[in-house]
Amino acid sequence: MAVTTEEFGSTIALDGARKARGNLTQNRIRWMVLALVLGFGLVGGRLIQLGMVVPDSTIEGQARDVITATRPPILDRNGLEMAVDIRVPSLYAEPRRIIDVEEAVRALRTVLPDLDEDWLRTRLTGDKGFVWVQRELSPAIQERVMRLGIPGIDFITESKRFYPGMSEASHILGSTNIDNQGIAGIERHMDTEDVALLQELGLARGNALAPVELSVDMRVQHVMHEQLVDAMTRYKAIAAAGVMMDVHTGEIVALASIPDFNPNEPATALVKDSFNRITAGIFEPGSIFKTVTMAGSLDSGAVQITDRFDARYGIRFGRFTIDDFHGKHTILSLPEVYKYSSNIGTIRVMQAMGKDNYRAFLTTMGFDARVQFELPEMRLPTVPKELSEVGAATASFGHGLSVSPLHMVTAYAAFVNGGNYIAPTLYRRDQAEASLLYRRVIKPETSAEIRYLMRLNALEGSGSQMNKAALGYRVGGKTGTAEKVVDGRYSSNKVTNFFGSAFPLDNPRYAMVIMVDEPRAENPQSGTTAGWNAGAVTGRIVQRVAPMLGIAPDFSEVLDDNLVPPQLR
Amino acid sequence: MIRNLNILLIFTSVFMLAGVYALKFSIENTASERTALIAQIDSQEGELSILKADEAVLNQPGHIEPIIRRHELVLAIAPVKQEQFGAFEDLPMRPVQAKPNSAAMNALFTALESGVDPIDAILELEGIE
Repeated sequence: MAVTTEEFGSTIALDGARKARGNLTQNRIRWMVLALVLGFGLVGGRLIQLGMVVPDSTIEGQARDVITATRPPILDRNGLEMAVDIRVPSLYAEPRRIIDVEEAVRALRTVLPDLDEDWLRTRLTGDKGFVWVQRELSPAIQERVMRLGIPGIDFITESKRFYPGMSEASHILGSTNIDNQGIAGIERHMDTEDVALLQELGLARGNALAPVELSVDMRVQHVMHEQLVDAMTRYKAIAAAGVMMDVHTGEIVALASIPDFNPNEPATALVKDSFNRITAGIFEPGSIFKTVTMAGSLDSGAVQITDRFDARYGIRFGRFTIDDFHGKHTILSLPEVYKYSSNIGTIRVMQAMGKDNYRAFLTTMGFDARVQFELPEMRLPTVPKELSEVGAATASFGHGLSVSPLHMVTAYAAFVNGGNYIAPTLYRRDQAEASLLYRRVIKPETSAEIRYLMRLNALEGSGSQMNKAALGYRVGGKTGTAEKVVDGRYSSNKVTNFFGSAFPLDNPRYAMVIMVDEPRAENPQSGTTAGWNAGAVTGRIVQRVAPMLGIAPDFSEVLDDNLVPPQLR
Repeated sequence: MIRNLNILLIFTSVFMLAGVYALKFSIENTASERTALIAQIDSQEGELSILKADEAVLNQPGHIEPIIRRHELVLAIAPVKQEQFGAFEDLPMRPVQAKPNSAAMNALFTALESGVDPIDAILELEGIE
């Protein structure tokens, strides 16, 4: 019988010691490999995790980019800085890293004693990663705080807006808040354009942005500001304001309003009465509005410069009689109506044109809308939609309607530059650009007649006070003394005085409106009418700025004679 | 053979390790140098911005005018008056002159050519060497 292996069932195989050891090693290697893979996997996973984390760059809700964002420098028309960025240190804390709050509070208050102790303690307690302690400090304070060596306290460099001209151009520039956003003036306007966008994109950091050039001439601005401050004390006025405009390009060369504020301390902008009276103030313009009436009537052809008007008696409207302030009570020629500032004569001039045509002319001159201008501080003028007979009569000499001085200077510019309305601007604009924006409002011949009237008024009329100072610069203008409404009646001792002017009238280049609010007589010999204050201020300003603007004095009478229209020669 | 290779590999590894460490530290060094430079540039830019602001303040007409006012008396200066302006057109024309004195000119040129400079005589007279 054959013996087969089957009969013995399954065989038992015993591994030798070597083989058994080999198996064990292989097992161990497998475990090791697994452990290593897991280990590396762990490290790799963590690396990926770290890579995914977006670093937190926000500082109390704002991105770091915004904090350190810069704004373009603002230059005047000669390249002088009006606003620049300076880098200042700001103190912040990381409360979660502060070890001893009490010690930190005590140490910090040795350098910054103004900080409230309790406030600082609550500020530094907690688990927050970032809190401001105090922003915009000086480098000296930074040095002293660093010496304290408090952990969890550090500085970040912020950019702060600085205005080297201090309060001189405050109403033009406006100011920025602590986060470098424009809150008023041209700063605010720049934000509405593109600066804010740049800052949002984080592009406005550190590197120099292209500077913004304004049309303002800081030298002229300085003189105007100085003279207005002087007028405030000289005439004990409650406010004074002025604006000068290039009649051909619409560029604003100077614009000031006193009381003003220091844009380096934005909080001072909130002080009562420091609003911009040129754009955001509306006033009854008084007699400077007669220029508008004259321009409209002469341009419509309803009156000629040679016409004569009966100003012997006051004009009755029901119960009211409108009479003249310095009544001549004779028959006046049109230049005399303007020269003597006759209310009666002006009403007759307006009536010749017709009240509806007159109202339409006010719309043409932009008196019932806001002037297109960069500054956000604006108020709508109040001009009645429909003029009654008496309403039109008072409007013809500047009562019963309120417009801003900016409206007046724009109108005066259009009247003397040949009859082209050009909206004012604070940015540079050359003649070619400006002429594309021209809107014809009166004929060139009318413009020439208005120039004559304005010059005549300076030589013989209410502008002679002004002309004394500005002799040789061929300035002409119109005074306006508007009585204020006190308790519902026109008060004769509270007046707003204006002087609307242009120079040099043989070839007009600049128009100016000066306002002095509630002036008193400088001395017993002088008066409170506009010629004594607003006019005198205008004269002093022109005397000082005309040479800066390249206008040479010329005393030859032929220049004035040339202004006289041919019909009157 | 394998043993030699292993020894070589071990030495290489150690060498590489040392190299990597050295590299790591040198990079850290460079990075901190860079950080320090950035901080320095930052603070210098800050100082520069302040200096520029200072310059702008000093250039303001509003800053210059009070200085002028203070020294007005000493320097005897005052704002310009209209009468002080002139123009080239206001200057009188040069008076019509007689013909140039050609004989005197010829005499001067011959004197110069012969080595005699008339100015020397004048200088001598004035006592200037």
